[in-house]
Amino acid sequence: MMTQKPKVAVLFGFGINCDRETAAVFELAGAESERVHVNLFVNGERDLSDFHILAVPGGFSFGDHLGSGRLLGNRMRFAMREQLSAFVAAGKPIIGICNGFQVLVKTGLLPGREVPDFEQRASLTLNNSGRYEDRWVTLEFDPDSPCIWTKGITRIECPVRHGEGRFVMPSTTDLDELNENNQIVTRYVDPETEPGKGITDEELPFPICPNGSIRNIAGICDPTGLVFGLMPHPEAAYATFLHPHHTRGEVSEEILGEGMQIFRNAVEYAQANL
Amino acid sequence: MSSIVVRVETTPKIGDGMKDVRGDSVKRQLAADHNIEIGSVRSIVGFLISSEISADEVDSRVDDVFADPIIEESATDSLHLENKELFSQEPDMVVTIGFKPGVTDNPGKAALDGFRTIFPDAGSDANVSTYLTYVFEGVPEGVKVDWLAKQLHNGLIERVLYSLKGEEFPLIEYTPIAPSNYAPPAVIDLEVTDEELVKLSEEGLLALNLEEMQTIQAHYRDPEIQASRAALGLPENAPTDVELECLAQTWSEHCKHKIFAAHIHHIDTETGEDTEIDSLFKTHIMKPTLEMKEEVDWLLSVFHDNSGVIAWDDEWSMCMKAETHNSPSALDPYGGAMTGIVGVNRDILGTGLGARPIANTDVFCFGPPDWEGDLPENLFHPSRVLRGVHAGVRVGGNESGIPTVNGAIVFDDRYIGKPLVYCGTIGMMPRRLPDGRESHVKNPEAGDRVYMVGGRVGYDGIHGATFSSLELTEESPSSAVQIGDPITQKKMLDMILEARDAGLITCITDNGAGGLSSSIGEMAEYTNGCKIDLGKVPLKQEGLSSWEILVSESQERMTVAVRESDVPAFEALANLHEVEATWVADFTNTGQFHVVHGEDTVANLPIEFLHDGVPQLRLESEWKPPQNPEFNPPAEADHSSLLLRMLARPNIASKETWVRQYDHEVIAQTAVKPFVGLERDGPGDAGLLAPVHGSTHGLVVSNGISPRYSDIDAGAMAAAAVDEAVRNAVCTGVDLSKIAGLDNFCWPDPIESKKTPDGKFKLAQLVRANRELERICRAYFVPCISGKDSMKNDYGTGENKISIPPTLLFSLFGNHHDVRYTTTSDLKPGESLYLVGESKQELGASEISYMLSESGESDGIGGEVPRLPNPEKNLESYKALTKAIQSGIVRTAHDCSEGGIAVAIAEMCIGGRCGAAIDVDGPGEADLWGRLWGESLGRILVGVKQGNREEFLATMKGHSLTYMGEVTDSGTLSVWDGDDLIIESSVQDMVSAWKGSLDMTGGVQ
Repeated sequence: MMTQKPKVAVLFGFGINCDRETAAVFELAGAESERVHVNLFVNGERDLSDFHILAVPGGFSFGDHLGSGRLLGNRMRFAMREQLSAFVAAGKPIIGICNGFQVLVKTGLLPGREVPDFEQRASLTLNNSGRYEDRWVTLEFDPDSPCIWTKGITRIECPVRHGEGRFVMPSTTDLDELNENNQIVTRYVDPETEPGKGITDEELPFPICPNGSIRNIAGICDPTGLVFGLMPHPEAAYATFLHPHHTRGEVSEEILGEGMQIFRNAVEYAQANL
Repeated sequence: MSSIVVRVETTPKIGDGMKDVRGDSVKRQLAADHNIEIGSVRSIVGFLISSEISADEVDSRVDDVFADPIIEESATDSLHLENKELFSQEPDMVVTIGFKPGVTDNPGKAALDGFRTIFPDAGSDANVSTYLTYVFEGVPEGVKVDWLAKQLHNGLIERVLYSLKGEEFPLIEYTPIAPSNYAPPAVIDLEVTDEELVKLSEEGLLALNLEEMQTIQAHYRDPEIQASRAALGLPENAPTDVELECLAQTWSEHCKHKIFAAHIHHIDTETGEDTEIDSLFKTHIMKPTLEMKEEVDWLLSVFHDNSGVIAWDDEWSMCMKAETHNSPSALDPYGGAMTGIVGVNRDILGTGLGARPIANTDVFCFGPPDWEGDLPENLFHPSRVLRGVHAGVRVGGNESGIPTVNGAIVFDDRYIGKPLVYCGTIGMMPRRLPDGRESHVKNPEAGDRVYMVGGRVGYDGIHGATFSSLELTEESPSSAVQIGDPITQKKMLDMILEARDAGLITCITDNGAGGLSSSIGEMAEYTNGCKIDLGKVPLKQEGLSSWEILVSESQERMTVAVRESDVPAFEALANLHEVEATWVADFTNTGQFHVVHGEDTVANLPIEFLHDGVPQLRLESEWKPPQNPEFNPPAEADHSSLLLRMLARPNIASKETWVRQYDHEVIAQTAVKPFVGLERDGPGDAGLLAPVHGSTHGLVVSNGISPRYSDIDAGAMAAAAVDEAVRNAVCTGVDLSKIAGLDNFCWPDPIESKKTPDGKFKLAQLVRANRELERICRAYFVPCISGKDSMKNDYGTGENKISIPPTLLFSLFGNHHDVRYTTTSDLKPGESLYLVGESKQELGASEISYMLSESGESDGIGGEVPRLPNPEKNLESYKALTKAIQSGIVRTAHDCSEGGIAVAIAEMCIGGRCGAAIDVDGPGEADLWGRLWGESLGRILVGVKQGNREEFLATMKGHSLTYMGEVTDSGTLSVWDGDDLIIESSVQDMVSAWKGSLDMTGGVQ
């Protein structure tokens, strides 16, 4: 059980955009966070093992040319391979949000293996609409998932902001395996359904499922549940006043919103286990 | 070792959940814009890699760099089209598009970066260029391949090849960028006749008039100047081309705002007024702002920097700038608009010692997207301009991680000739840096080193500033078009903000119009001198001449001054961020703008002459009110059907399809977004941000624009723009004691000449607009802290000339005490509805007047245009309303603008997905048309819950307030005039009308 605040490394550089808010939200969740340029890990000036949590934020790393997250994924896959393996082996949580999720999928850390082999097994491709869009979605979480980031969360609302968020795998068997391991952590659901009963394999229509993702998949974890990636932005729902309906009721005294729980979970996990 | 060119192609896998979305998008777009249904469109991305790596080696790693093996098929040194497993049928048509050599190829740049990660030995000259191939099957008869190709590319910047069934597939080859033709600095003889001086200016694209050319001529006749030139080895009595180009850039309308600075003789034929005005800018913009600055402590920096700065609180200051990028957007909508948005971001980064852009606003004026009339040569159809500009701003904003929080799209036929693309950005910086310096003050000293940071200098972007000061013709040069590179800029931005916080920057500005000549030239005023070495400037291609290096506007560059002692730390930061930073100049105190190219001096101009030497223009202005046929609506009208027609008008209809493609909430601060309401599709009036994470302290951003009022009076147009911006901000509950504005004028050429016979009238419109701008800004206490003007928005000449309607965009940003205490336009159940302000008989130039005159139901648009006779009274009611909003008793407010009360209440029903019953019979002289559709200023519709009514009425006591009706759960809007039911419309019908007309997605999601 650690007594000090867990330290979070929030990657930035090369077109990562959401580093400031991701760092801020971890701080609000009780961690000490630092934005660290990717190259500081690559050139060895900083050591990933000094941190307890790693966040790969959203953005447009390298302009998403050659496929979203691919070029930053390559830098990490080839230049940070050992540091990342050691980080995972040490049981430390990693989150990738939006572009960060794409990066983790393309490095092979997601869906991944117990011991990372850096093989890409899935991809995130262009939305069926062909358009980048910013819109709020409803997410529901697998209660049986090993994911340490989502414990106790049933449903939240937060925005998606992407053009390449359609999760695909080469075959149905791959998806079934993911499902059996409860690695399909979160999916887009119809907000009209009862909380806890929204998850379905049936293809949900646009815009409930904003990108045509197979089985409405919004986020997955690795088999250990420590590495988590998702397309939607929970950090953009960190405050009550960021919810598009905040003016439809009375003024809320509470400032922190439902997106916070994901970050609190990781901070608490790190405090208890690292 | 010599370079090898290797071709790699990728194409999406098809089937089993995999699809070719890029191809599908082209298919849908052809259906939406041209009604052409194509069987299928598939896409292939090609890479031409010139490096020292062999095809076999590339092939062994192709899935590590170029193809995603899960979703794509790759091929090395072969064409996918020849692979029968992938393309079993021979396609009807194939179109391949690549960039012309030298045009920014962002995917190619990224690919090269990725390639070097895998192949560090690729060679220092390695390069990657990309192309895109579209494969068409099931093309309907009558569709010609050259027409199809034309729809898919822009010949100014791209090359295209195509083939029909049976022909060989098109094959784009790698074409290295050709070196430019270096010319040694030339001497320009100015001892010539006046006609020849004018010809020199015209042929050299200098955009200088005779008097300006004569002023330059006189400079070189000065014996003292001649002596100093001889000492430097320069031609004594004539400028070098470097000097002349530098003067042309610095003295351009774009940089010096000569029309706003002009001496004007103004006559008003209505009132008999005959006056002289010494500079519209000084008189109507600068003076009022400086007087307001005396009264408050929060105006930190106005006019002289790249944007105006206000103190937001004790820790943070905010700045804002809006720019236009009209001419480049006309030639290449995508590239022009993208450089517009990333360019104005650099204005923010170049403010003070560097501010961080936190929000964008985008306002566009286009021709009607459904235009079916003739189009002049070389102009794009408005729908293509819309798509291109939108895509450029989308990519520029989204990739930079800056949310687009507010904006507008305005349509009018006259914008076909010149679209207006206004891009605005708000920035934020700490009041003080860690080293104690105030961040809004630049403080360079002689001896500081000047770095060029970011991109390199190329042939692209030569003559942008002078070009935008000329009218657009069919011969307009393609070198004025560029494509932005948001990732290069983002890396630079990350690096510069770190350098700022480390105290390494003493001065910074962006390289926009005029390139290094303007950026270093302007900064050199601080220390009174500089010495630039063009030989040090890194180039995109060899062989650029000295003057080209000096004035090129190649994008993504900042100019930064650094103390010598900070050089190692600054260069280390640049290295870490993989940003090119090159020492290209030094600040001096010699009073000279001194330019060398290696060993040779190529230009030397006194700083004072460079910046203050341009002679003041003398212009004539004469106001005669325009004559418009009256707006005379039919006596009997079905207002319910008029409402649905109005909701579908492009100027009113929902722009959701377009705006939703902007990231409007990156940075996690946007508390009121562009879309509000139950289904998150109702209109937001203004953007509201909470820029400090964890805090509720807010910042409001809004815009006002109403160009068609200029058809009656450009003065009323200006007043309406200011009022609309303020009204929108009031709807969020803005703190009216701290709001600041930006005036952004786009005008047709207002200088009388053979090609502009009505110049006096257009200048009089400008005079009237400025006078109203001043009057309303003073009344509302909105200092204009930064502005911009674009004064040549015409296309063509003679009878075919198209001039835009005089257009003022007024942008506003202001303080907000607590973002939780705000309103949105969507109605909430159980609310009572009130109108703040009053409706007058003001239907002139209203949206309904245009709709009914276009359809022949009215003779014209003439009549009383909305005016603000008593803005002080409006301000009092705005203050009362913001007080009510800030106390939390009002959660619903929406401003009345185009389409008046009828459209405003309809939009509020759409946002709330609920009905309402209101009665428009109220105080005032206006008739039913005026009360329903009139666009009188100063009006806001407000919804208040039962329990808050009393407190609300008490707060609003003494201000113009009318009870209108109630929110209902009927799903129907009912508008009464006393006992007569005038409008009855179901919310569902209104939603369909409002959301249908600008959707242009081809119907598929």
